[in-house]
Amino acid sequence: MASLTLEVVTPERTVFRETVDHVVLPTVSSGEIDILPGHIPLMTIIEPGALRFFKDGEPDSIAIDKGFIRVYADTVSVLTEAAIEVEKIDASQADEARRRAEEALAKATEEGADPAILEELETKARFAVLQKIIADNKRM
Amino acid sequence: MPNTRDIRNRIKGVKNTAKITRAMQLVASSKMKRAQERAMERRDYSWLMSRMIAAIEEQLPEGLHHPFLDEREVITHCVLVFSTDRGLCGPLNANLFREIARFDRGTTAFVTVGRKARQFVTRTKRTLLADFPVSEEARFSEIRPVAEFLIEGFNRGDFDALDVLYPRFKNTLVQVPTSVQMLPMTDFRARLDEFKDDSGIDPLQDLRSFLFEPEAEVILDQLLDLFFKQQIYRIALDARASEHSARMVAMKAATDNAKKLTDQLTLQYNKARQAAITQEILEITAATLHS
Repeated sequence: MASLTLEVVTPERTVFRETVDHVVLPTVSSGEIDILPGHIPLMTIIEPGALRFFKDGEPDSIAIDKGFIRVYADTVSVLTEAAIEVEKIDASQADEARRRAEEALAKATEEGADPAILEELETKARFAVLQKIIADNKRM
Repeated sequence: MPNTRDIRNRIKGVKNTAKITRAMQLVASSKMKRAQERAMERRDYSWLMSRMIAAIEEQLPEGLHHPFLDEREVITHCVLVFSTDRGLCGPLNANLFREIARFDRGTTAFVTVGRKARQFVTRTKRTLLADFPVSEEARFSEIRPVAEFLIEGFNRGDFDALDVLYPRFKNTLVQVPTSVQMLPMTDFRARLDEFKDDSGIDPLQDLRSFLFEPEAEVILDQLLDLFFKQQIYRIALDARASEHSARMVAMKAATDNAKKLTDQLTLQYNKARQAAITQEILEITAATLHS
């Protein structure tokens, strides 16, 4: 059976590179799209969310931040600034991170902090919540 | 002639210092190795990004246009400085500060990473826009707010040009304080080519033409933000590698000096000891002769 190579690349390193059956991407412009082997070359933007893929019929997912996708010659390359494999998400740690981020956010809003810092905190909170959701789904 | 006990104490002190500087040298050298590995690991990202930009470029026959790329009249200037948090790294920071002094006080504002640069900028009463704490590892998540702050400032028109000043890693012994113009990216093409050169040709081949969703312009618009962040990150890693190698070299010199000093002091100590013994013998013989 034809297969796809999925790679997730962040500025720090390549987090993930494996052969998979097909990939479901949360795109900005047309919702979730399913990429199957033989897809035409495509470039698109994805929303922060779960990147789901199927390997030997088994579903799995990676949490990713906003990023770009290139589908080229049966290779799905994800260019993103942050990614985390679900296996590595420790639910309690994600909880903790989310709590810290929200606390800092609340405090910063009170004090009327710099918008740049506020946005950074918001991103952190969003990402932490996301990890939590995915980890919960995984357990069910 | 100083007495033997004083010399002995000094020898002990120097030896202890040498132990410390030797330890710092080893720590710095392992950190430098790590920093160089990190610089290798980030290559995939640069490579993929350059492939994406290249594909978009094929789509846009009239060339690339973006606020980051188009030149504008420069009234105010911003300089991002990468320095170290701690000292004991030889002339690294001093060389960097000499470059800071070259920028015009009136029209230049600074953004600093590293305690030393912040201190220098505030002490010399220059304008400091922001200071970002970045840990020794310089993770991307720490560099990101810095880059986002700069993008925002540039888009808002707080400044019209951005330079980055950092100690460029040439080799273990040489770090050159370098200032690069980052925004607008007048040498965007050269930068892009640089990736292609060190990464080779795309091993994958697909002859069908690309589908863009949304349009190529929109993707490019957002991709350039990432490109900018990636460039800043690359420089941050470079600056860290420079810091560690500068510290390693400085500490090696300090250890060597300490060794030399110990040798000299030991010689002095032996002479003093010998002189004391000779003196004693002289006194004894003189006493026996007189009795």
